[in-house]
Amino acid sequence: MADAVILPKLGQTVEESTIVKWHKSEGDDVAKGDILFEIETDKAVLEVESFFEGKLLKVFAVDGDTLPVLSVVGYIGKDGEDVPDQPPAAVVPATPAPEVSEKKAAAPKVAVAPVASPVAKAAAPVVSAPVVAAPVRLKISPRAKKLAVSKCISPAGVTGTGPEGRIVVKDIVAYLDSYNYDDIKISPSAKKLAVNEEIDILTVKATGLGGRMVIEDVRRAVDEKPKTMTKMRKVISQRLTESFRDVPHFYVTVSVDMTDVLAFRQEVKSQGGEYSVTDFILEAVIMTLEEFKPVNSMTDGTTVTWSSSVDLGLAVGLDDGLVVPVISDSGNLSMQELHDTVKDLATRARSGKLMPDEMQGSTFTVSNMGMFGVDNFNAIINPGESAILAVASTIKTPVVKDDKVVVRDIMKLTLSVDHRIVDGTVGAMFVNAVKEKLEDIALWETLV
Amino acid sequence: MPNYLSNSKPDFKPYTVDCGEIKAFSYKKTLKSELSSKKVGKQECIDMLEDMMMIREFEEMIIKLRSGAYPSCAGFDYRGPTHVSIGQEASAVGGCIGIAADDQITSTHRGHGDSIAKGCAAIRAMSTDELKKRVPKSKAKGRKDLLEAVLEDHIFKTCAELFGKEAGYCKGRGGGMHIADFSVGHLGANAIVGGGVPIATGAAMAARYKKEKTVTACFAGDGAYANGVVLESLNWAAMHQFTNHLAKGNKFGLPVIYLLINNHYGMTGRADDEVAGVGCLARRAVGFADNNMHAQVVNGMDVMAVRDAVQTAAEGCRKGKGPYLMEIDSYRYYGHSLSDPRNEYRMREEEANWKAVDPIDTFANKLIKNKVMSAARYESLKMQVEERNAVAAGRAAKSPDPEAIDVIKYMYTDGNSEEVPAKHQKVKIVKEEPVIERDAEGQLSYKDAIKEALLEEMKRDGRVMIYGEDVADYGGAFKVTKGLLEAFGRDRVFNSPISEAAICGTAVGAAMVGLRPVVELMYMDFALMASDQISNQAAKWHYMTGASVEVPVVYRAAVGGGKGYGGQHSQTLETMFAHMPGMIVAYPSTPYDAKGMLKTAIRDNNPVMFVESQMLYGFKGVVPEEEYTIPFGVADVKRAGTDVTLVTWGPAVHDALKAAEALQAEKVSVEVIDLRTIVPLDIDTVLDSVKKTGRCVVASQCISNASFTGEIASQVMEKVFDYLDAPVARIGALNGIAPQSHVLEAAFLPNANDIANVCKSLM
Ligand SMILES: Cc1ncc(C[n+]2csc(CCOP(=O)(O)OP(=O)(O)O)c2C)c(N)n1
Ligand SMILES: [Mg+2]
Repeated sequence: MADAVILPKLGQTVEESTIVKWHKSEGDDVAKGDILFEIETDKAVLEVESFFEGKLLKVFAVDGDTLPVLSVVGYIGKDGEDVPDQPPAAVVPATPAPEVSEKKAAAPKVAVAPVASPVAKAAAPVVSAPVVAAPVRLKISPRAKKLAVSKCISPAGVTGTGPEGRIVVKDIVAYLDSYNYDDIKISPSAKKLAVNEEIDILTVKATGLGGRMVIEDVRRAVDEKPKTMTKMRKVISQRLTESFRDVPHFYVTVSVDMTDVLAFRQEVKSQGGEYSVTDFILEAVIMTLEEFKPVNSMTDGTTVTWSSSVDLGLAVGLDDGLVVPVISDSGNLSMQELHDTVKDLATRARSGKLMPDEMQGSTFTVSNMGMFGVDNFNAIINPGESAILAVASTIKTPVVKDDKVVVRDIMKLTLSVDHRIVDGTVGAMFVNAVKEKLEDIALWETLV
Repeated sequence: MPNYLSNSKPDFKPYTVDCGEIKAFSYKKTLKSELSSKKVGKQECIDMLEDMMMIREFEEMIIKLRSGAYPSCAGFDYRGPTHVSIGQEASAVGGCIGIAADDQITSTHRGHGDSIAKGCAAIRAMSTDELKKRVPKSKAKGRKDLLEAVLEDHIFKTCAELFGKEAGYCKGRGGGMHIADFSVGHLGANAIVGGGVPIATGAAMAARYKKEKTVTACFAGDGAYANGVVLESLNWAAMHQFTNHLAKGNKFGLPVIYLLINNHYGMTGRADDEVAGVGCLARRAVGFADNNMHAQVVNGMDVMAVRDAVQTAAEGCRKGKGPYLMEIDSYRYYGHSLSDPRNEYRMREEEANWKAVDPIDTFANKLIKNKVMSAARYESLKMQVEERNAVAAGRAAKSPDPEAIDVIKYMYTDGNSEEVPAKHQKVKIVKEEPVIERDAEGQLSYKDAIKEALLEEMKRDGRVMIYGEDVADYGGAFKVTKGLLEAFGRDRVFNSPISEAAICGTAVGAAMVGLRPVVELMYMDFALMASDQISNQAAKWHYMTGASVEVPVVYRAAVGGGKGYGGQHSQTLETMFAHMPGMIVAYPSTPYDAKGMLKTAIRDNNPVMFVESQMLYGFKGVVPEEEYTIPFGVADVKRAGTDVTLVTWGPAVHDALKAAEALQAEKVSVEVIDLRTIVPLDIDTVLDSVKKTGRCVVASQCISNASFTGEIASQVMEKVFDYLDAPVARIGALNGIAPQSHVLEAAFLPNANDIANVCKSLM
């Protein structure tokens, strides 16, 4: 099948782009990496390369056309292959929508020439390709549907025997009979609630006198009813599923002795310095990332891209969900600046005030569950990153120090790593490097 | 015994046809001689002048309105046509003065002049009481003031109609191109070129039949005289049977005067050198009547010449010497409408030449010269006309618009002929009535049921007449009217020429003036020859005149489908007429319904397309001998059922019933509904049934593409969607042209099996 050439979405806010100039015409041979056309966004003129090898079979847009991003502008395929005469409707809504079905996620196939690299980096994490099968539409006649609604049952389990397997009235009637529907006793208020809440009363356990279904029963059913995820949960669900399924994770854990750094923090505090434990952990991670190139990289499976700046993601838990604000170019921040930035981002994250761009483009994430009394945990890598560091609670633990059993404040760090670009030794070295820094008071004295 | 058997012999002796002579401009009388011989009075002359001035003032107002330069209508935005007739005033006034005040006219898209002239002529002839009735609210006393009030009211109502106001002659529904005032014998302007000519002819035919001395003057342009229906009408009016031995006691030519207003242009097409092959259009008459319809060419710039010619013709008409045709040589100073600058097709010099013989200026000068009036009186008359028009137009502009909610009011009338006026109840049976015999079970064929309805209605109401091709001696192509000529005579049952447009159009004219024609179209396919007369004329006049006229005609059209007659004789076309608001569309499926529905159709005051099935003509059913009628818009549930509602009409009803019977054996219970009329549509019966069954199939013999079956399916889905247990299905003829081949036609038309299969597909 021919591959669609798609007008790339370059940048978060870009909704349409103009094709400035085609470099290829219909019928031209195209090699992978050839420049297909130049596009202009509100920011810049960029060249778009081909990801496909073959013949440019069809071109839908001419120079100067302005189109919604992600529009199909042509097809590349084998000579003589059939391609549509008309472009399909714009494949993805112009606003970023995580609920992109697989076919539509053609965006990652679009390469952008190096000139566009800063944008490309920002764009990359936007891409996610969960397979959301379109829900199968229940084939049911309006009359049957009306009957089902009036009887407070869900027709989902009814077998259709009408033409083309459509559920028709007699199927509903048979279904009701099979449940001895007429014997169901239900209070009028319970029935009313069931109708309003679309509760299938065949699934509700009746607890009223003499087997009567009462309003409490229906209320319980309402509570148990599947609820649609919030948009954020759907995004989390899709992105993490994608990561956990596609990225080969491995985990390395170390125990960090936090006793000294905690004492140091108290000391600084008594002198008016306001640092959180997290600040120390993040600073240690930032420094370590600057030392370990592969861990500050990402891969699409075929290429590895290193980022010269450390854009650190910090997972922040919300009432229902999780966001990851990004501390951009964190390597250039002083401890004080880091503290202020983290505080600001976390506060705004909790109040939902983050801008979309502030949650894009991280290279590595820290997930801190220290305040939740956990011994240890494994985190799932944020799509587009190479690793994530899971920070557990600091727990007073008997340890052997200088051959004596002493009580120390021990915190476990577990690094989840994308094995495609980071191997065990690097992973081990990385966590140990973080550990060393946290345990090195002399270092902190120079930083704070 | 047939009434008339031809018995000609071949006769090839050489001879020469004498086409006779047509005189042009033979009017030689002077105003002085006319006055002294008392052929015209002084006041009448002044009145004619004033009428011409009123027309010109009115049309100049239209021109000014277009540029906002008419002070009394400042700020009023006139939207509508601007077909002014400036230059032609003498033909309008001379034509309307030449006939009597209670005679009739039909007019054209360029009809302000005719309309104003006819109104003025009638008004000036009214008694004081009649004048008062036209302006009941006026405080005017004395004939002079009253007359002035009525003339102002006439201009007001004309203006209001032009402006689309509720106070207009047609309540703003018709506008200038469809203006009519039946109270003064104005049967309507017509925006279809030539469309009014068969109407005038039909009105004249009605006068002849009723033995009234009414004359109809038919205004139509040079352009119209190339139009088929106009030529059909000329032929119609001159038919020998109106005047020869066939006419028995009523040898009387149609009292119609065709006023061919030759202003030398269609829109821009030139009658003179371009789009006609005769130098003199009056020659048209030569082809249609042995007496050339007394044709002559008249100076249309001279009101006295026009008046004289029309007077002579009207007198002749009243003696049964009609029809008359006269070409009125005239000129319009402006273009077809104000959007036509006319310089693409004629010279300004030509206009100047005609303006030099301006009908108003020349007549005014003659009146002054002959001391009929003074120059000062002329000046004051000018002022009076101007002022009257300004006041009337100002009032019209300010008068209320129709209410938007009433946009489709007047589409149909509730009127009918349940009460037949006493004078029409007396019906003469010329010879014996046809005997229509029932079989032992009391059954009649569909055909005989129709004949019985015709017979009964003709006996009941003398206004009912039948005509069409071959309906008389031969009894119709399908013998439906056999015996009716013998019963009622040729005045009421006669053969028409093969002129479908004239058949349908004359019926409109006859119906407008009080008859109730039932005309036969033989094959329904031929109705397309008469599309305009059925769809634009019959269907629309009640609405376009704001309900001031009714058009009680019945068009009987027989569908030939199923007989192997091919593409031009087999179509089921009721859908086309259902799409024409104003028509009723009926299609009975049984002898019982055929009789009861035809009787209703004849008594209904709306135009009815009454569709018959040739395949059913021999189909028998019980038809009671007692009087009954079947109301329109009431469907008949032919068979009750619980699983599928099968909606149908016409011959498909029988296939539907067979399908239902077959499905019964398969435990599918089908409810069969015969709609009987598709307009009005008894959708409630359908909806109630679908609510019960949950499934709906619509079957007819129309091809499915754009068929009325789709209308029903759509309404069912809109109105009872939640009750549907399956999609609404349709079945009709295949989307093609009826083939002659019997094998192909069987495949083309839906049969009981096809219908049953569609029903089953929903189960
Ligand atoms: C059936 C039909 N065809 C065409 C037209 C468009 N049309 C309106 S007026 C006109 C010219 C009519 O010429 P004529 O009969 O000489 O009347 P005149 O306009 O000269 O008064 C035409 C072609 C129409 N209204 N009706
Ligand atoms: Mg003309």
